[in-house]
Amino acid sequence: MPQPLRVIYSAFRLAMLHWMADPQWVIPNVIAPFVFTFVALTLFKEASGPFGLYAVLGGGMMGMWGNTLYSSGFAIEFEKWQGTLEEVVAAPSNLLHVIAGRSVSNALFGLTNMVAILLIAAFVFRVPLGIVNPFLFGLSMILTLLSVSALGLIFASAFVLTRSAQVFTNGLEFPIYVVSGSMFPIALLPFWVHPVAYILGPTWGVDAIRIAAGQESASLTFWLDLVGQRNGFLAFWLDIGVMLLITLAYVGIAIFLFKKVETKSRRDGTLVEA
Amino acid sequence: MNPQPREKASSDKAIVAEHLCKVFNVTKGTLRRRKTQVVAVKDVSFGVDYGELFGLVGPNGAGKTTTIKMLTTMLIPTSGKATVLGYDVQKEVKKVRERIGIVLGGERGLYTRVSAIDNMRYFADLYGVPANIRDKRIKELLEFMGLSERAKDRVETYSKGMKQRLHLARGLINDPQLVFMDEPTIGLDPEIAKETRNMIRELVEKGKTILLTTHYMFEADELCKRVGIIRNGEIVALDTPLGLKKYVMDTSVVEVEGFGITEKEVARFKEVPEVLAVSATLSENKQVLKIQTPKGSEIISEVQEILKNSRIYDLKIKEPTLEDAYLRLVEGSVKEGSAR
Repeated sequence: MPQPLRVIYSAFRLAMLHWMADPQWVIPNVIAPFVFTFVALTLFKEASGPFGLYAVLGGGMMGMWGNTLYSSGFAIEFEKWQGTLEEVVAAPSNLLHVIAGRSVSNALFGLTNMVAILLIAAFVFRVPLGIVNPFLFGLSMILTLLSVSALGLIFASAFVLTRSAQVFTNGLEFPIYVVSGSMFPIALLPFWVHPVAYILGPTWGVDAIRIAAGQESASLTFWLDLVGQRNGFLAFWLDIGVMLLITLAYVGIAIFLFKKVETKSRRDGTLVEA
Repeated sequence: MNPQPREKASSDKAIVAEHLCKVFNVTKGTLRRRKTQVVAVKDVSFGVDYGELFGLVGPNGAGKTTTIKMLTTMLIPTSGKATVLGYDVQKEVKKVRERIGIVLGGERGLYTRVSAIDNMRYFADLYGVPANIRDKRIKELLEFMGLSERAKDRVETYSKGMKQRLHLARGLINDPQLVFMDEPTIGLDPEIAKETRNMIRELVEKGKTILLTTHYMFEADELCKRVGIIRNGEIVALDTPLGLKKYVMDTSVVEVEGFGITEKEVARFKEVPEVLAVSATLSENKQVLKIQTPKGSEIISEVQEILKNSRIYDLKIKEPTLEDAYLRLVEGSVKEGSAR
């Protein structure tokens, strides 16, 4: 296994072991999206259209994004609390790979939240989800998970520089969740928000998930209208393709930022105490 | 554990530090933010031979940890140059990191919710230990540290001594040629500290080079081939423990055990011309005052006069130890640089 992948896997494995050892961390991440979905389903109960799916995806995305954002930032803080940050920083592996492993593991927990919410919605609340293509639905969820993790890595670089980055990411949690169109179509949002939505990988991922579930694209209609389709195979893969490109760009930006902030932190002593 | 021969870059020293300096920019104030500079390390130069156990001692804030962090590539020096195992700590960061081990003191620094094996496995992966030798090495190291039986238990259930042994095992996971140990016995009870010192000694016997920082002079005396004393970011003395003791050979130490000794009285001793250095520590329920003087018993009457309002339990005249040499050097009684 190439060394970067080995480090990512090892950090992922350690994070999973910690999650299993600390089950109380899971509780707020399961309960909060669950309650959110319950409220959304109750609100949309009388509405017509695919609102059930919006509510479910909204709750699930909230869990996934919230987890990733929190954990990417928390990865550095966690090491500080354990007193292991210096040992990790002094190791020859890239700190970005360590945080990537943690980020993926936490996004995966968010994904399990989404699956739990889907099952609860389908079997407890009897929401007709009508997923047309379960394979593409699952695939688009996993790829969205990776895109969310990559976005989390960009925010993680801020934590290498300063611990007050927590305030910054806390403030970003809800706006990004709304702007990505997880809860309702971005067409409902002011026009000036749209460009922000288009540079977010999860926006395209959520749209692909929705298409895989048999719905029409509701967020990126301007784009899909160019190819004359708002649903179907082509629309799905276009969404996925754009999301992957954006995700690659996130990874590139994260690598660049980490190199910069790591050098800066070694110069200023912001990462390890002197 | 079988230390394997490693390639070295061209250097006959394991560590070479040349005029290392580290200055931090600090911002003070909330509304009116002012930037100031803090000099953590002013000018540190020394060399460590292969296979040597070198000690770096000094008071809190003297610059020991900052020096170690520059040598282990965690911090970039503001100026100066250093090579570790022949590699430049600024330009060849990865090569340095791959070849060194780091052991930090204290109970923290381990993932306590997982087992010793999981801790070791994680760091083996971070250090790129080949998968085919990783498990074997973990087993050997845990055996060497006497942790095999509890290897699968969560670290949070370990005693302090076991945690410290795990720290040591973790620091050796990449079979490093050189190990940096920052106060490895801090906070340990005497028995466990002794056990840790024995482990360190064994590592040197196995051919490892060790740079150790410590607060305990007897520890440096017992373990180190050479000791560098650092004060205010500068090395003020560097010699063998015996060589350092020579700086106080012309003196004797009047040691007073008592109670109720005030700071004012301690300060009065500093004004006595025959007193070269004085230190007061609290040990169990008594105060211990150590007065270095070339006059020996001749100043006893003066000691009794200064301490007439305090209770004196015992008064002895002793041969100076490394700690006395350290105190005198740190207090600056020996002219800077003269002890090198």
